[in-house]
Amino acid sequence: MSRGAKIALYLAWLIAVAAIGFGVARNLKIGSDLRSFMPPPQTSDQKLLLDEIGEGPGSRLLLLAISGAPPERLAQLSQRLKTALQGDPHFLRVANGNADLDALASDLLPYRYLLSSTLDTRRLDASYLRDQLTQRLDDLSSPAASMLKPILPLDPTLEILKLAQRWAPAKQPMLRDGVWFSSRGEALLVTETRAPGFDPGAQRAAIEALQKRFASLQDAKRATLTISGPGYFSLEVSSRTKAEADRFGAVTSLGFVILLLLAYRSAVPLLVTALPLLSGAACGFAALALMFGEAHGITIAFGFTLLGVAQEYPIRVFSHRRGDASALQSVRGLWPLLATAIASTCIAYLAFFASGVTGLQQLAVFTITGLVVAGACTRWLLPRVLPERFRDAADTPGLKGAWNFLARLPRPRWLPWLVLIAGVLIVVFAPGKFWEDDLSALAPVPKSMLMTQARLGSDLGAPDVRYLLVLRADSADGVLKLSERVTPQVDALVGKHAVDAVELPSRYLPSVETQRARQAKLPDAAALQTALAQAGQDLPFRKGLFAPFVADVEVARALPPLTPQQFEKSPLGARLQAMLLQHDGEWVGLGTLIGVRDPDALAALSNSTGGAVHLLDLKASSESLLIAYRQRILVALGIAALLLCATVTLALRGPRRALHVIGPMTLATLMVLVVLRAGGIPLSLFHLVSLTLAAGLGLHYALFFERRTDDPAEERRTLHATLVCVISALLVFGVLALSSVPVLRAIGLTVALGVAFHFMLSVLMAPAAHLRRED
Amino acid sequence: MQSERAMRRLAFASLALLPCAMSLAATDLATTILSRMAKPGAAQTEFIEVSYRGMLDRPLVTSGTMKWLGGDRLERDIEKPYKAVAKIGDGRMSVQRGNGAVQAMPIARAPQMAAILSGFRALLGGDITQVSRDFEVKAAGNEARWVMSLTPRSGELKSRVQSIVIDGRDDAPRCMTLNESDGDTTITLVGATARAGLQSAAPLQSALAAYCRND
Repeated sequence: MSRGAKIALYLAWLIAVAAIGFGVARNLKIGSDLRSFMPPPQTSDQKLLLDEIGEGPGSRLLLLAISGAPPERLAQLSQRLKTALQGDPHFLRVANGNADLDALASDLLPYRYLLSSTLDTRRLDASYLRDQLTQRLDDLSSPAASMLKPILPLDPTLEILKLAQRWAPAKQPMLRDGVWFSSRGEALLVTETRAPGFDPGAQRAAIEALQKRFASLQDAKRATLTISGPGYFSLEVSSRTKAEADRFGAVTSLGFVILLLLAYRSAVPLLVTALPLLSGAACGFAALALMFGEAHGITIAFGFTLLGVAQEYPIRVFSHRRGDASALQSVRGLWPLLATAIASTCIAYLAFFASGVTGLQQLAVFTITGLVVAGACTRWLLPRVLPERFRDAADTPGLKGAWNFLARLPRPRWLPWLVLIAGVLIVVFAPGKFWEDDLSALAPVPKSMLMTQARLGSDLGAPDVRYLLVLRADSADGVLKLSERVTPQVDALVGKHAVDAVELPSRYLPSVETQRARQAKLPDAAALQTALAQAGQDLPFRKGLFAPFVADVEVARALPPLTPQQFEKSPLGARLQAMLLQHDGEWVGLGTLIGVRDPDALAALSNSTGGAVHLLDLKASSESLLIAYRQRILVALGIAALLLCATVTLALRGPRRALHVIGPMTLATLMVLVVLRAGGIPLSLFHLVSLTLAAGLGLHYALFFERRTDDPAEERRTLHATLVCVISALLVFGVLALSSVPVLRAIGLTVALGVAFHFMLSVLMAPAAHLRRED
Repeated sequence: MQSERAMRRLAFASLALLPCAMSLAATDLATTILSRMAKPGAAQTEFIEVSYRGMLDRPLVTSGTMKWLGGDRLERDIEKPYKAVAKIGDGRMSVQRGNGAVQAMPIARAPQMAAILSGFRALLGGDITQVSRDFEVKAAGNEARWVMSLTPRSGELKSRVQSIVIDGRDDAPRCMTLNESDGDTTITLVGATARAGLQSAAPLQSALAAYCRND
């Protein structure tokens, strides 16, 4: 091939990768919903967790603080932000302390007699009305007069006010200029997003909408908006993680460039080294788009990590080019071994495909497609774009010395056995927990943010993010009835300080039965008129003043009981909607808990209600899901390991040679585990994926060191290729191991350790006959 | 040339200053009245409050003591016809009727009370710049017999309160009249006027207003 043809092929390749990548970016939907990455839920709590709740209403809450301006202006901003958010579809509700008296939609106003508890103990008779009217008269000469005046003719017993008080948050911060203020003088708001807490993508959209709305408020420029809450944390943590990964990425890219220039003393490898990997990734995405139409963000992150193995393929080609053969011929010599590595890795990943978890199947499709395409590109495209002129890596100065040094290392036969036994003992008996079940430990929220959350949360009485009360019944009204039935028990628990406050669904809407009982106590118009006339004797209220009241009571007598659907029209309807769910053929009520002190006392509610009410521990449920998920991965990995052994044995025609490959891989993986366990680091999914990547790289080292060749130059080329691979992997992942973000550190440390151990052991355990000294 | 430009500049400057000078003269009386009435620290007075409400046939009369504790803190003890204590401060208001439970609410819910508080701050704080921030202040009459009116500039207060009018003699206020936007009026007699008492149990609004203006 002429030089021009090579350049044309190179450009065509480049354009093809870009075109596939572009097409995929337009068509593949990146999901952020954790549910698609989790195994199917088993218990009813897990089902509830995944299908309906996310991480609980507490995780939907964003706590907001506005600071940096005089109090009057902050109060104004708070009110404007509230108005802006009320019209925003991202938010279910927003509260800033300015509890309006229109808590009940105006066309539902007559329902107040069915919703308020007044009629449970009273009747609208002359003596009660007399008492009420006398109080109202005093109110009219009190400071509260201007607030009461507008509603007095309609509502002399102040049911509207009683409902507003009943529905006000259980614990309220200090009020100033009508809105909540913190002790530090910030205006406080609380808002509930429509998006569940486990959907970071949707949380991001809500938070961005919030920030935009605030920025566009009049006067907002000089004030600062502080956001806190689980949704905001996950957003901040992931963007911090990404920023750090990008920063390290820039450093390691530079290091990688220098390494390639030093190793090959040519710029050509730089230009082409990334192409097979990129081709593989682009085709992997295309396969996902075709088969699933969607991929989870975690699939992509894990998939890219695993695909990192493919970066070795071009390096092998560069290092193994022989002086006496064309690039194509050199690759042909190399191909059986590379093909073995690719085939066995791909067959191993088939185990992931059989796992039955969509996320893992996507991972398998992406990785297998990626590896096959990267391998094919390396075999058939890469040699055709490499220039004729090159430097033989076998002639690299110092390489011979390095080979001799490695060949001279002692290789006691008992060493692998000692490593095996000691390793197993340490892994099994080292103290400390083996698994990290709390994913948040890997991406911890900065302490300052947690402190802000604790401060605002206690000011605002934010609900517990871990516990929920779950009420089950066969209808919505059944849930409301159950909720009314347990209210006294729950109130007793509040009295005993097991919990600061509890919000049950019946707080917003009583059951049909209760509404009917109250309705039955309402007097007819004539009786009410008489009672009112009697009550108002020698009080100065103008005649006929309370006609609207009489009319409303008459309306209330004939109302059908208020249903949850009708209640949705009220400002608090969304709140009730979030607490009352139809799920799996039954109805579920969610009780919000504020300030849980004694979870056991709350859990005991289950016994006294025959299991109809129980405490849901969201943390425990999500951890149990994670454990189930990890078990699936472990099973898949176990099967993958067996498949790999079988393929390698088949390819190397017998267990004797296969042992030289599988032995070092197994021991190196064990040694990484030893270091992690000895360091007291509990293992997470990220460690597992990193171990798998390291094992994939180790497979290459072991396969190439196992290869029989009588050509000392070829042996040096093998060493050259392996050293370039090892150093680049150590560079990339070793730097990552220095990260302050635990998840990056976990990946970096595990892969870096793995690469080092795999290299050492594949050298030390290579067949002795291959490692002759050269003179 | 040089001096001509300077002259023109001077003329412009004095034109610009003219409105300021005029408003200075108008608020002058208010400033004088306020500074003469200023009670540094704390002060207290008896009061009789007569509320005229559209929904009632006759006015409501309460009486007791008002205590200004400095700043935005005010206590209003009603002794007749029932006992109640209202405390205002730090943006909150609490009301305790007799020995009953204390009910608290934000002061913004009770603009009437906020207005009374502002009136007191005006009367006793003696600081016209502070009062002028929330109200347009006007004064009429002379230093011996004066009427001062406060009109809310903006916000919640403006939508509920039309004006506060204070009648006084020398360094002592007689009455404070709160005109609400819905037509209701509350006239509060303070100091000597309160001590003198009401001539009738349910005085007509016009009669009481005339009494506040004259002796």
